[in-house]
Amino acid sequence: MKKTIAIVEDERAIRDNYAAAFSREGYAVRGYPNRREAMAAFAARLPDLAVIDISLEDEPEGGFELCRELRGLSPELPIIFLTARDSELDAVSGLRLGADDFLTKDLSLAHLIARVNALFRRVDALRRPTEEKQVIRRGALTLDSERMSVEWNGQVVLLSLTEFWIVYALTKHPGHVKNRQQLMDAANVVLDDNTITSHIKRIRRKFQVVDEKFDAVHTVYGMGYRWVE
Amino acid sequence: MGRIADLIRVGPISGFRLRTKLLLLALTTLLLPWAGCQYAREMETVLRESEQQSLLAVTTTIAGSLRGKQGLLFREDSLDVSTGDHARDITPVVLSGAPLLDGRSDEWDTDSRNLIRVPGPEGDSLRLLAATHERWLYLALLVRDNKMVFDASALAPLDSATMGDRIWLAFDDKRGGQAQLFFSSTGPGRLVARRIETREYGREEAIEEPRIEAVWQRWREGYVLELGIPLTLVGQHLGVLIDDRDRRGATRSSYGTLEVSDLRATGRLIAASPDLNEHLRQFAQPGVELTVASASGAILTRIDAPALPGDYTRMRGFLPRMYRLFLDGDVIPRGVSQAERQRAAENLTARVAQGKPETALFAGRYENSVIVAAAAPIYSADGKNVFGVIQLAQTADRWLTLRDRALTRLLNLTLFVTLFAVVAAFWFAGRMTLRISRLGAASETALGREGNLSRVLPEAEARDELGDLSRSFSSLLGRLDEYTGYLRTLAGKLAHEIRTPLTIIRSSLENLESEGGDSANAKTYISRAREGSERLGAILTAMGAATRVEEAIAHSDRQRFDLAALVRESADAYGGAFPSRQFAARVPDGPVEIDGAPELIVQMLDKLVDNAVDFSVDGATISIVLQSDDRHVELSVANPGPALPPETGSRLFESLWQSRAESDKRPHFGLGLYIVRLIAEFHGGTARAENLPDDSGAVFTIRLDR
Repeated sequence: MKKTIAIVEDERAIRDNYAAAFSREGYAVRGYPNRREAMAAFAARLPDLAVIDISLEDEPEGGFELCRELRGLSPELPIIFLTARDSELDAVSGLRLGADDFLTKDLSLAHLIARVNALFRRVDALRRPTEEKQVIRRGALTLDSERMSVEWNGQVVLLSLTEFWIVYALTKHPGHVKNRQQLMDAANVVLDDNTITSHIKRIRRKFQVVDEKFDAVHTVYGMGYRWVE
Repeated sequence: MGRIADLIRVGPISGFRLRTKLLLLALTTLLLPWAGCQYAREMETVLRESEQQSLLAVTTTIAGSLRGKQGLLFREDSLDVSTGDHARDITPVVLSGAPLLDGRSDEWDTDSRNLIRVPGPEGDSLRLLAATHERWLYLALLVRDNKMVFDASALAPLDSATMGDRIWLAFDDKRGGQAQLFFSSTGPGRLVARRIETREYGREEAIEEPRIEAVWQRWREGYVLELGIPLTLVGQHLGVLIDDRDRRGATRSSYGTLEVSDLRATGRLIAASPDLNEHLRQFAQPGVELTVASASGAILTRIDAPALPGDYTRMRGFLPRMYRLFLDGDVIPRGVSQAERQRAAENLTARVAQGKPETALFAGRYENSVIVAAAAPIYSADGKNVFGVIQLAQTADRWLTLRDRALTRLLNLTLFVTLFAVVAAFWFAGRMTLRISRLGAASETALGREGNLSRVLPEAEARDELGDLSRSFSSLLGRLDEYTGYLRTLAGKLAHEIRTPLTIIRSSLENLESEGGDSANAKTYISRAREGSERLGAILTAMGAATRVEEAIAHSDRQRFDLAALVRESADAYGGAFPSRQFAARVPDGPVEIDGAPELIVQMLDKLVDNAVDFSVDGATISIVLQSDDRHVELSVANPGPALPPETGSRLFESLWQSRAESDKRPHFGLGLYIVRLIAEFHGGTARAENLPDDSGAVFTIRLDR
């Protein structure tokens, strides 16, 4: 059965373009221009994945509200924020509301699709028993590339998709400096320096929630970052 | 913005000018003394003229009171003084006290106009002075004699062989005859007059006349004879004669006012009536000297000025002297000798004797003293003849003193007012300048501050024009601030607004590429369109850079980190990032720990290096220097290249400031150095730009507190 992707986006042209791209990939796509229509439809039937814009018609923060309601309906449903707003504050708010990823509309369709696929893969993987070969262990870190889940000292660290890919890229070759471009490629994303910096900052903070002494992500000034065991 | 800042910046200079202007304005009060001088002169003229007129009026009144009263004027009221030969007339002066008969001339006024001078032989001369006091007539004979000879014998005064110099005195006696007396002596001292009586057989005998006393004394140039006669003895005519002998018994040579042949007195004794002074005394006024002269000009009597009451002496001291220098001028004759004064008085009398009252100004006896005189003729009863002249003289000290006093007060007051005005002007100008410059400084800093301008400028509460100016400035700056605020956020807003249509274009292109773009041409066009949209995306990212940095700053956490390590690592990395430039880093060996956000510091350094790369040529060496002392850290990036345009200064670090001459491929919005400043300020530091000492490039320095 085709997986259903809901696109909540008030700009019709974008909505249709995304719909076309997802349809091409074999997904069933439903588009909604505002929160009201989206919630009405979600109440009847949940999609398998939701792509939500933050400002929806007359509600500048409608996407956040929708995300909160949707998360209420289903804790596991993958939610991606896709917005023209690229402020740090928006990203933090979106991810805190339980979104799996926060993307700006600069992102190419190919990258978007890669993420959607990855998120579906993770949903599938979560339903299957863990396969050891997908698991990377680096000291206190346990990283399941299939489920895209990360544990530190046995405690789960909830990372967004972008954050996960950054951590994954850093830990694949510990000690090697990954520059910003490499991290962006790994995360299937085009970001400016500040956004990479804030992603790294968020990653550190999330690890520090479970371990105050976490200090594995090192900054190499002018170069990039590296994972230190 | 800059132009307004410049306008404000000239504040202190124009303020200084303002002060000078006001000072000059205050100095115009110095015109007041000038005006005062003019006024004082006017006043002086009026005073003087009124003084002269009133003096003249008094004089005329007194003259009127004496009209036709010759008897009051002269001792002999039958005397006709209007005719005859005046040369031998003797006019005694009325004295207030009897002169001491001692043979000395010093108490006699030898400059008096009443003096009679008779020349004798061989340079000898006689000077005769006369005076009356009460019922006595006094004469002083000052004889210049190259060879004075006394009589050889006191017993034989009439022996011509033993005779020396002798003096004859002759006058009409009361009985209508002539009295002829002589004075001779064997030595200096007291003597009495003698007359020659012819006895029987023609024998002549010298009979003493004890009522006529005299004293004979030697004098430097000859001898002096002082004598006193009771006025009751003397009739209308009186004269003296000198019998001068070069040795005893020698032939006499006679000269004097008597007829030499018969010793008859032809000169008249024009003495004032004893009642004249009594009459005149009633007119005496303080400070007024009263003189009565005969029509011939000889003084009959003079009533000295009683002392002036109170303090009418002229003011002394430096300032009054200065003022007088300005004022006295042409009106008052100066530097006049006693003789000239005398002559002026005589001339006045002579003129008035013609029949017309007149006033005149004389220089006084003392420096700067002035005398006002008025003279009026005294007519005979029929009004045809002038037989006397009365003259009133008064020192002008009274009105000069009044003038000086008023003027001194005026000038002192003016000086005080001027001083006050100058001080007030200085104070006012200083305050004004202070207020204006404070307003200027406030406007400037208000303008320099990015962001809100809610702050009220100083003077906004003031009700005067400065208050208006301040309020205008406030509203102007407010509008300006809104405008720059709008401009600053415009880039971010624009980026945000354009992103949506750009997304439409981009996603459409991607769909097109995936689905329909089969033909080669279509692929080319699609890829060009994508290229364009990517560039557009880069532009949008650059436009939003400052906003993102501001956000990043808002979410930054401070931590303690080693700035030295950061700079060292970054400098190494720049070598890789910009292979066409050399990087020379000078960093302390030890750690330089500061509190801050390392990511932001890196970003700041990136912007500085970007800037240095942009403004230097290939192969140039960009130096990155970190210096630190106990309290501060300085991070500077220097590049060779064009010098900074003059007067850009801190404006380089303002948002949207651009000084790039040519555009290059990367989009620039003048945000790089603004970001540098934002980050520096987040760390409590400052950013500044300077030219290298030899203008061979620019150096940007960030100064942070440790």
